[in-house]
Amino acid sequence: MSGLDVKWSYMDHWRSQSPHGPIDQWESRTTMDRFLKQVAAVGYRAIDTFDFRWYQIMGEYGSVANYQEFVQERGLERIVNTFHAADYDPRVYAPHIPETWPNILEDFRVTMDRWSGIRLDNIIVMPATLYYDMEPVTEEKIKYTAELWNQVGAITLDAGVKLTCHHEFFCGIQSRAELDTFYRYTDPAYVNLFVDTAQHCIASVDPIEFYEAYADRVTGFHFKDTRNHDLIGDYRRRPDSEIMAETTEKWFHEMGDEGGLVDFENFMRAVARHGFDGWLSVEHDKANKLGGDHAESTAIARWYAKNVLEKIAAEEVAR
Amino acid sequence: MIRWGYAINQFKPQFDDFVRRRQHRRALQVMSISGFSAVELSSGSGRWEPLGNPTQIERNFGSVAGFGEFVREAALDGVSSWFWDPATRFGEDLSHGDDPLDPAARAGLVAHARWFSGALAELGGDVLVARPAPAAGGRDALSDAEIATLAASWNEVGAAVAEDGVRLALHLDFLSVLRRDEGLERLLAATDTALVSLALDTAEFAAAGRDPVQAVREHAARIGHVHLKNAAAVDDLDEFLQPAAEYTVLRAGGSRQIPRWFVELGAPGHVDAAAVVRELAAVDYAGWIVVESDLSPHPPTSTMLNGWEVQHVLAPIVAGALGSD
Repeated sequence: MSGLDVKWSYMDHWRSQSPHGPIDQWESRTTMDRFLKQVAAVGYRAIDTFDFRWYQIMGEYGSVANYQEFVQERGLERIVNTFHAADYDPRVYAPHIPETWPNILEDFRVTMDRWSGIRLDNIIVMPATLYYDMEPVTEEKIKYTAELWNQVGAITLDAGVKLTCHHEFFCGIQSRAELDTFYRYTDPAYVNLFVDTAQHCIASVDPIEFYEAYADRVTGFHFKDTRNHDLIGDYRRRPDSEIMAETTEKWFHEMGDEGGLVDFENFMRAVARHGFDGWLSVEHDKANKLGGDHAESTAIARWYAKNVLEKIAAEEVAR
Repeated sequence: MIRWGYAINQFKPQFDDFVRRRQHRRALQVMSISGFSAVELSSGSGRWEPLGNPTQIERNFGSVAGFGEFVREAALDGVSSWFWDPATRFGEDLSHGDDPLDPAARAGLVAHARWFSGALAELGGDVLVARPAPAAGGRDALSDAEIATLAASWNEVGAAVAEDGVRLALHLDFLSVLRRDEGLERLLAATDTALVSLALDTAEFAAAGRDPVQAVREHAARIGHVHLKNAAAVDDLDEFLQPAAEYTVLRAGGSRQIPRWFVELGAPGHVDAAAVVRELAAVDYAGWIVVESDLSPHPPTSTMLNGWEVQHVLAPIVAGALGSD
């Protein structure tokens, strides 16, 4: 973070209402136009996206570069990161199972080629399968997983994009001990860390302590909040933890609202103290659950970023 | 200087909505982060209208000043203006609405105006936006005598609120009886130019079949406030003449079941917002442009889309006009 140039990007989970019910912004150019203008209006400077949107991008815009141009015409600078939301399956695609690695490596070769028309900072992955597909989580499995991502990181870096790992609370590498093991076996040259404040908080991993421990490997963040720790092992719930847990219908909330558990102010101080100079991404996936509104959440998070966190960053930098 | 505000009315679709502090805070924050510097309040009565009048504000925030602090904590500069329909009954003082066509009601009309203007001044605002005449449904066009009575009422109100440093701006809506027989023009001509100004609502003008750009040219010297919003439809069937048109036409959409009369500035519609702002700049308009999206089904989205339009299209027009001086 150089001086006060705090750059906020928006991770594009988004739902809105249409005459035929809830939609995402990828439905048409009109809905995309409205999405991008709302994001730009409240001061985000860029967006992050999912690379599985490639099919819709090609169909509607013809190329990734064309889509980015559409983004830029609405006042945003560019697409910063893409999230590679893999469909993990121990039979064919699982980082801790070496027999599936050829599929994974080929997937990343194809993906990097598809996105080669624009500059990306990071490709973000959940580095392990769902927890229950990996347990018992052993050091050997984590070691295999690390080796796979070392190889993938070499592929993405060859394309000029950093591989960075985002640990969902329900993935196979989520406790602090598992995280430390994973980062011990991964090569810092190829495997980076993407800190999602809410995911770690749910998993009872202090996001500030974790970030401080690996600050030199961090290439991005999801600033988002939660109101619940996972206290009963929802992380290993079958078939799903994220939106089907009986305990918690909505895990994620925008920062800046009441009742959140993440200490964003001290987190921001840490980020500023370490001189992070990349993009800060805001995320609040599933914000529409329980009557929430993505547009409102997006505005509130950005309000908080501007009126609270940027001032704190400025204070910290001035020290 | 043109200043950009946003109207709060869209956030309260029904009387039992938008009553909680968190909702108010978030609405103000959405306005602020979308690029607006102030909020326009709307009049209302009762405990479910925490922002509807000075008494309710005092009950909910301790004092008017306390509410002002709440607004500033949301990173807005303050309150721009207050919209007041004098037909509103106020349980706070057991009044039943003040008819500006009734000279006997004038004292109450003026008293309520001062009630708002006093608080408005404390909140940093300077425009009381008033509905000057009843809806057209079920009544004839106003006679010259009625226009004279109306003008006398509003002159008196204008003089009263001026004591608080507040400007009175009369707001034509497309259901108003002032649409008939050039009622608005007759009223403006009958009022004191120093005391009574026009609140130009671009969508209400468009829905009434008038050209808002032309209205800026025609009324440049009288415009004291602007509501900038887009109109999706024009009442070219004269349905404003129907009884209870506030429900049957404005909300239910009339015989065509128009889902929304008012839409965002950048949406297809009958208001060329850029042309309006260009014209306002050309006539050296100085005051508030309050963007409005009343009856929006998605208030945060409307605010954000309109914020984008102001930041990327409209404010640059004003800046360019200033730069070309």
